[in-house]
Amino acid sequence: MDKIEQPGSSSATTRISVATGNRWRRLAPIAVLYFIASNIKSMVQNALYIIPALAISAQSTGILQTRWFFPVLAALLVLMIGSGLISYLFYQFRVRNGHVEIRMGLLRRRHINLPFWRIQNIKVERPFYYRLTQFAVVILDTAGSAKEEAKIVAVTRQYAARLRAEILSERNEFLQTSDNSQTAPDASVSKPADQSSDKEDRVINRRSVKDLVIHGITNNRVWIVLGAMAPFYDDLARLVGEWLEQQGLQLEQLAGSASVAWWQWGLYAFTIIMIIMAAMALFSVGGSLLTYYGYTLTRSGDRYIRKSGLLSQQEVSMRQSRVQMVAVKQDWLDRILRRANIFFEQNKTGNQQGQELMAPNKLLVPSVTLSQASALCEEVLPSSQPFSRDFSPITGFYLVHMIGVRVLPILCFLLVVLGWQGQWQAMAVALGAATVLSGVIWLRFRCWGFARDKNYLYVRSGIVGKDYQILPLYKIQQVVIQQSIMMRRRKLATIRLILASGTVSIPFLTQKQISYLSRVALAEVEVSAKSWM
Amino acid sequence: MNEQDQWEFENRRINVSALPDMMDVELTQISPRYRVVNLSITAAVVIILVAILSFLRFQTFMVVPFNLNAFYPAIVTGVCSLGGLNLIYHFFADKKIKYCLREQDLVMQQGLFLRKIACQPILRIQHIELKRGPVERSVDLATLQVFSAGGSLHTFEIPGLRLNDAQRIRQYILSHKELNAK
Repeated sequence: MDKIEQPGSSSATTRISVATGNRWRRLAPIAVLYFIASNIKSMVQNALYIIPALAISAQSTGILQTRWFFPVLAALLVLMIGSGLISYLFYQFRVRNGHVEIRMGLLRRRHINLPFWRIQNIKVERPFYYRLTQFAVVILDTAGSAKEEAKIVAVTRQYAARLRAEILSERNEFLQTSDNSQTAPDASVSKPADQSSDKEDRVINRRSVKDLVIHGITNNRVWIVLGAMAPFYDDLARLVGEWLEQQGLQLEQLAGSASVAWWQWGLYAFTIIMIIMAAMALFSVGGSLLTYYGYTLTRSGDRYIRKSGLLSQQEVSMRQSRVQMVAVKQDWLDRILRRANIFFEQNKTGNQQGQELMAPNKLLVPSVTLSQASALCEEVLPSSQPFSRDFSPITGFYLVHMIGVRVLPILCFLLVVLGWQGQWQAMAVALGAATVLSGVIWLRFRCWGFARDKNYLYVRSGIVGKDYQILPLYKIQQVVIQQSIMMRRRKLATIRLILASGTVSIPFLTQKQISYLSRVALAEVEVSAKSWM
Repeated sequence: MNEQDQWEFENRRINVSALPDMMDVELTQISPRYRVVNLSITAAVVIILVAILSFLRFQTFMVVPFNLNAFYPAIVTGVCSLGGLNLIYHFFADKKIKYCLREQDLVMQQGLFLRKIACQPILRIQHIELKRGPVERSVDLATLQVFSAGGSLHTFEIPGLRLNDAQRIRQYILSHKELNAK
């Protein structure tokens, strides 16, 4: 272990001292502890649901007295210690030429190769059993995902600190060179902003209470309130019951008596649904005000900062260069009120599947008017104009596929089964539902399309309201083209453009369009060689 | 502003029809051993399962509860037909896995009924991993995994590469990044 620390290393010579040379290094023996601990952790996590069962059987059947209990326990222990030892013996790493390389695993060998300048985040952790020693765990995050992180399990603290310093400096160097040489269009735009930031931060958008009320009505924000009220559910239910009783309405009586006619029932149900809907809308407005009260979006330097909140003010900030895509989302209520929600989407780290409107990788501007939406798009992605474009539609085979292959077979099957049993009413319902569904598919087909200008790809989708996705093609991570056998025969394909913020897909385009899009996208990435961050 | 104009001018000059097309690349097949390995693994699993089932059916020193013995023919048929389908699938689908390493990107095509062509620009690669399970090691194969910021769902994975090829591709990608990405 100590071989890593070369004598005479000082801060001036970190470049040399971090490298371990060509030879593979083994970890310090204390790493065995770490492997055993992580084995125990994963076993406990996996077996958590068995523990109650075990506890009960221990009480009722005296599992502790059986003669195999302790042998099994001992075997488990031996297994875990053995596997920790094996993990240790089969783990090797080396650091050289600005790369971290790790080889690990007995049965499934993994060989990880991680360049310094791709490392997004570096953590140095010290589990409690390392406290008395000089060792630490170095956790290296790439932009990939939380699961794919690499760990150097036991190195000295000094080495960990030096490695961190080295990786961070390498990364800064990389970012600087790429910023200077590769992001010319961004730079020219951000310059005026930089100047203004010397004086003060520029406010880009504010949301008034009226906007937030609209936002509350068009977007269901009930869950914010519901979450906050969770501790009081029982009391609330009792209160509602008492209130209804006072009004002379007794649910038990109602349900039990046969004297109430069906239309009275219907009326009751209708009234109750209306009351619930009104309450939901009211709650939703409350929730919207709670989170977004005093919403301001400011630009300070190359950052966007969102401040909002009634009780506790939240602040979220996002660098302009990190925005991978701008999404304008509008559902049918938004369409009627001529509003839209705007999302600035950035790299999602890990696989946190949060509530869409609260996801940490998205910055939301709630319920803006369409002219504001267009101004915001232009602000974040300079000279982008999603609303005044001619969109090339997707081909009609989308309709044929969705209705012919997805809806019709299910409908036919249902009709045959229901017809067999003579349930005519149900058949009518099925037919009606299929018609509505086909209508929705048709609306979706009408809306779906893409357009392109010098800098951006625009994708429009939606059913009644229109959603727009605006992305600079050079930020694409991967291009995927999919074709079923039928599509291949008709020279059609679906394209998926994978960004760090998620996937944008356009279905059922002609092969010509697909080949055009994929060529342009790949050329934007590979020829411009601009950084996506 | 001047800079921006220049950049746009440069951008306009890219002639799209002259660009290489990812749907029109000459692809090389992965090692034919991959298919052999998959076929033999499937066959082995089916044989072992049938052997276990037969043992349970015909052994004499334990009584099988709930008269489960009656289901023996059905279960064996089920296992065999699933295994058979799997065999047929691998027989045809594994041949379809093809890849190509180009100067700027990796292209891979796969899929029997739903053909999927993926293209991963080398510039967007975050890190690389070679994975070798016990079976793969015994036949000198490796799986190359390439991670981008697109997330774990979109990890680009080429299975069934000869170890030498896999190592060469990795080396190419690594040296490529040092030339261009820095």
